[in-house]
Amino acid sequence: MTAVNPLLPQKVTLQEIVAETPEIKTLRLASEKGIPFDFIPGQCAMISLPPVGEALFSITSSPGCREYLEFSIKKVGAVTRALHELEPGQQLGLRGPYGNGFPLEALRGKDLLFIGGGIGLAPLRSLINYCLERRGDFGGIDILYGARTPEDLIRREEIMERWPAAPDTRVYLTVDAPYPGWEGHVAFVPAYLSELAFSPENRIAITCGPPAMIKFVLKALEELNFAPEQVITTLEMRMKCGVGKCGRCNIGSLYVCRDGPVFTLAQLRQLPPEY
Amino acid sequence: MIRYIQESRLEELFRILSRRGPLYLPLAEGPSLSFRPWSEGAPVDLKTVNSTVSAKEIFLPREEAYFCYRRAGRELALEPLEQEAANAVAFGLRACDLRGLEMLDRVFKDQDPPDGLYLRRREQTAIVALACAEPAPYCFCSLFGIDPARAGGADLQAWWHGEGLCLKALTAAGEELLSSAGELLHEGPAGAEEPPRVETGNFGLKLEGLPAGLRERFDDPVWEELYRSCLGCGACTYICPTCYCFDLEDFGHQEKGERYRCWDSCMFREFTLMAGGHNPRPTRKERVRNRFLHKLQYYPERYGEIACTGCGRCLRSCPVDLNIVQVIRALGGESR
Repeated sequence: MTAVNPLLPQKVTLQEIVAETPEIKTLRLASEKGIPFDFIPGQCAMISLPPVGEALFSITSSPGCREYLEFSIKKVGAVTRALHELEPGQQLGLRGPYGNGFPLEALRGKDLLFIGGGIGLAPLRSLINYCLERRGDFGGIDILYGARTPEDLIRREEIMERWPAAPDTRVYLTVDAPYPGWEGHVAFVPAYLSELAFSPENRIAITCGPPAMIKFVLKALEELNFAPEQVITTLEMRMKCGVGKCGRCNIGSLYVCRDGPVFTLAQLRQLPPEY
Repeated sequence: MIRYIQESRLEELFRILSRRGPLYLPLAEGPSLSFRPWSEGAPVDLKTVNSTVSAKEIFLPREEAYFCYRRAGRELALEPLEQEAANAVAFGLRACDLRGLEMLDRVFKDQDPPDGLYLRRREQTAIVALACAEPAPYCFCSLFGIDPARAGGADLQAWWHGEGLCLKALTAAGEELLSSAGELLHEGPAGAEEPPRVETGNFGLKLEGLPAGLRERFDDPVWEELYRSCLGCGACTYICPTCYCFDLEDFGHQEKGERYRCWDSCMFREFTLMAGGHNPRPTRKERVRNRFLHKLQYYPERYGEIACTGCGRCLRSCPVDLNIVQVIRALGGESR
C-alpha cells in the first residue's frame, strides 16, 4: 500500500526503570536496533501500553545516546500509573518523534540559561546534555532548577555532580521551603531567578515547569530585560495522534504536537491564551 | 457521452457495482439517512437532500480498529488490522460533501505524514456524485461557490432526468464504472447533456461579507452570549462534513484486544482535559468559540479556505439553533 499508518506503534522493550522521586520514574526504552528513531532535543514520543492506552512524553535523553531513549514520567493519570508499575523486560509500543524540538541553530554561540521546575527538567535535560556533548558550540551554560522539596529534585547525579563539573557550566538548585538536611537555596524558582539577575546580553532563556512557575518566570525574565524572542518554553497539551490531525492540541491555528511543543515567548504572544 | 438508467433498474446497477467491493449509498435507518454499505433490498434514498450524516464517514468511519494486541507475560505483539476498502464505490455524494472531502484531504492526505487509513480508502473508492435537483430550505452551498449540480473531485456525475439518472464519466475510473454496467445503460436522452444549473439561497450572507479580523476578536463579548444556549451534545461535530476530530482508545483486556480510532468532539469537556486536571478549554464558552473559530479562522489560516460547505446540516439538526449562519451573523457577517 502507498502509505503506512502513522498511528501504528513499533515495539520497544523497557530496559530499566528507576525511581527518581516518590512520584517520578525514569524509563529506558530500546528497540532491537538500540535507539528506536532519531530525534532532536525537545521532541516527544507516544508510549503505548494496551489496554490502558497511549500518552505523549518528552524525550529526556540526549540524541547522542544511541542505545536507548529515556522518559522521566510523573504519576498523574491512568497511563502513567500503569507505566510506574512495570518491570524491566516489559515490551511496550512507541511512536514518534513528534514536534519541532528546540531551535538548535538559533542557540549556537549563545549563552544559555535553563530554568526548570519539578518534572519540567525532563525536556531541558535532553538539550542540556546535547549542548554539553558539543560544548564548543555554545557559550556559558547556567541551569536554575527547583522543586517543592529536595525529594522532588530529579536526576540527582547529573544536577549535583556531572553538570556542575562541566566546563563553563553552573547549576543553581533551590527548593520551595526549608527542609530537614537541605543546606542549599530556599526560594521559589522565579524569585531565585530575579535574585541571580542574569544579563540578557547574548543569552537565551529556556524554561519548562508547572504553569504557575512559568507565568512568574516569564515575568521575571521580562523584568531582567529579556526580549520575547530570547525566551523559549515548551508546552504540554492533551494529545492523541501526535501528527496534527486529531484536533485536540490546537492553540489557535497551531498544533502543539507538530508546530510546538517548543515556542518562543514572541510566538506565544501571537496566540490565544488557551493552553 | 451521457449514459442513462431508468430508476426502476437502479437495483440492478447496485448489484453490479457491489460485486467489485463495498458500495456505499445513502440508506435510511429509521429517520436518519447515512452512507452505508449496500446490500440486497437496502432502503436506498437518492432523492432526499441532504443525508443526516455527511459522506465523510465513508473515508473517516465512525470507528475503526487498526491493530490488535496480545500480551503474554512481558511480551507484547502488535498486529495491524487489514481494511476492507478495496474497489469501493461511493454513490450519491452531493457537491457539498465533496467539498468537505477536499477539506479532509488537506489534513489526512496532503499534510505529512498522510493518514494511511484515510488514504487507502480514498485511493480505493470511486465516487459517483449526484446533482441536487432542488436544494433543501437550509442549503446555502452557493455562498461558497459550490454548484450543487456539478461536484468537484468525482469520477462520475449523475443527475435526475425524467424517470431515471443521467450518468457522465469524469475520469477513467468513471468510464470503467459505466462499462461495467454494460447493457443496463442506454444512450442519454436528447437535451440532457449537462445537469440543470441549480442555486441555493445564502441567508443574506456574502462571502466577502464574512467576518474578518477574528484574530483580534478572541475576547469579543459576542462569545459570552453565543455559547450559553449550547447543550454540549456534540451533534454538530458528528454531522458536519468538515469536522474530523478523533480519539484513539483501546478495547479489550490484559491479554488481548484492539486499538481503534473513533469520532470525537471538541464540544466535550474531556476532549482537552489533561491527566493532571488542567483543561485549556474548561467551559462551553471556550469550546464553542474554538469550534467556530476553527471553521472561520484557524482552518483558513492553515489551509486557505473557510471550513464550511453550506450543507446546512447544523441548521437542520442543532437543537438550539447554534448553527454557523447564526454565528456568522452574530459576528457581524452580513451581505453588503
